Amino acid sequence: MEFEVKRERLVLRAGGGKWEWHIEPRYWRNPLIFVGILIAAPVIVYFWYPPLLATVIEANLLAAIAIPLALMTIGTGRMNFGPQFYIGIGGYAAALLSIHAHLSPGLTMIAAALGGLVFGFLMSPLSIIAGGLYYSLLTLLFPLLFLEVTYIFTDLFKGDTGLSGLAPLVSTGSFSLNLLIYAFISLTIMLVYLFIMDKIFRSRYAIQMAAINDDEEVANSIGVNVNKVKIISFTIAATLVAVVGWFYAHYYQAFSGQVFLPLSFMLKIFMVTMLGGRTQIYGCVIGGYFIAFLEMILIRTMGDMSPVLFPIILLVLLLALPEGLFGLYRKRHYREYMPTLRFRR
Amino acid sequence: MAEILKVSNVSKHFGGLTAVNDVSFSINEGETVGLMGPNGAGKTTLVNMICGSYGVDSGKVEFLGKDITKLPPWKRCKLGICRTYQIPRPFPELTTLASVCVSALYGKDRPNRSLEDAMTEATHYLEFVGLFSKRNVLARDLTLFEMRGLELARALATQPKLIFVDEVMAGLNPVEAEKAVRLIEHAKDQFGVTVLWIEHVMAVLMRAAQRVIVLHYGEKIAEGPPKEVANNPMVIESYLGRG
Repeated sequence: MEFEVKRERLVLRAGGGKWEWHIEPRYWRNPLIFVGILIAAPVIVYFWYPPLLATVIEANLLAAIAIPLALMTIGTGRMNFGPQFYIGIGGYAAALLSIHAHLSPGLTMIAAALGGLVFGFLMSPLSIIAGGLYYSLLTLLFPLLFLEVTYIFTDLFKGDTGLSGLAPLVSTGSFSLNLLIYAFISLTIMLVYLFIMDKIFRSRYAIQMAAINDDEEVANSIGVNVNKVKIISFTIAATLVAVVGWFYAHYYQAFSGQVFLPLSFMLKIFMVTMLGGRTQIYGCVIGGYFIAFLEMILIRTMGDMSPVLFPIILLVLLLALPEGLFGLYRKRHYREYMPTLRFRR
Repeated sequence: MAEILKVSNVSKHFGGLTAVNDVSFSINEGETVGLMGPNGAGKTTLVNMICGSYGVDSGKVEFLGKDITKLPPWKRCKLGICRTYQIPRPFPELTTLASVCVSALYGKDRPNRSLEDAMTEATHYLEFVGLFSKRNVLARDLTLFEMRGLELARALATQPKLIFVDEVMAGLNPVEAEKAVRLIEHAKDQFGVTVLWIEHVMAVLMRAAQRVIVLHYGEKIAEGPPKEVANNPMVIESYLGRG
């Protein structure tokens, strides 16, 4: 085996084979490099400061919510302000079935996904009936209504305290090792979502979504079945978000609507999507990590003031980076048609 | 010539306003029919009803012998009806190639069509309208004339049998207008489409159309060869008023 460092590439010769890696900056956009960094990060944190793994998990989950939300936004051409509704559906489905029916996490995941699918399908006509501000307001209301329902049926949902005593996903006996495994599970969910969305956004289906985003009526008049695209993208996204709710429930071994359904959680997701670029799936990953770590730092340094600072930061972001971080990159790469999928309402 | 479109007694009301009232006409295959009338005569409303953007209050629309009155716009497009808009409505955030590609993918059903196939076909239509060199330009960055070209390419890429051209001359200078007219004539020759041409400019319809339909206050007041219609006292009165 022979390893050689050349000016612009690394060359590895082993047996009869030869592998080359270009190290010029223009090849650094290889997604495998970023996936490698994301996989290495939990391991490094595990050996350096294990409690920080909780922040890494939170970052992965925020990104895992924001990525399907990008599909929902592009597919329907509207901004959904209540993705946490589906986290509630997934979380409560998992918690209720795990506690009362003693189902295994694998089965509760299927139930949570089915819950997301059914509710997503039932809610999806909203994207056809309502538009603009009405759609945003209606979607904003549903999680709050759901929260009210959890208070009304306290016997079932246990109101403020929430449901606790779920079966854990992993139990190795070591807290740090558990966290590491949870970090990898959350990372897997996020990367799978990223992979699925990347495939969708590079396919022929994305181009009709882009058309719907730009002008629904025209898209309809050139043969795009707008309603079908809206319903499918809405339902898929709702299902994927519900699975994140399932993970939250089993990760904390408890689920309370009080944590996930109010506006403060929505604000966090909204900031992730804003920072990354509203419909940029790769931006969601950057946004997820930035917001999770920012929240951790703010809570440690500012304490009670952090909930006040979050909206202020969001406002600054809205003014300074209307297209998000990825928008800056995409502005220079508009020839790739994928980047031009942009939320415009 | 076989009848391609038959509109029977269609009406459309917006509240108390009657936009189109009991209009009937038919178009034969391969024909170029002009639709004219003063502002607010109901021309675009009529086209919107035929394309499916607006529902029909009463009456019937038939395309190739099939009743399409209740069909959604995308199904009508797949059957072979497409249109351009009076004020260009390109997909502003898409490149011209991607815009035409949407039509090539989702217009008339073509089995096993991949994104690459559609891209290749889209380049053909872009070349036809003279926008090939601008294939990677965002549609919002095009000039008005180019936008009209893009709309035509987008409509042609759905492989229509009948195309509605809505006031293509509006906002164009004489040279561009001449080019636009020639482009539509070429499209008719090359792709064998039937054209319903909505236009204010009499001279264009005189030259291009075989038959002209005139609307006034939502009602059909005249129909016939362009020269005959131009001398019709009711048409003159609708445009110039009573002397």
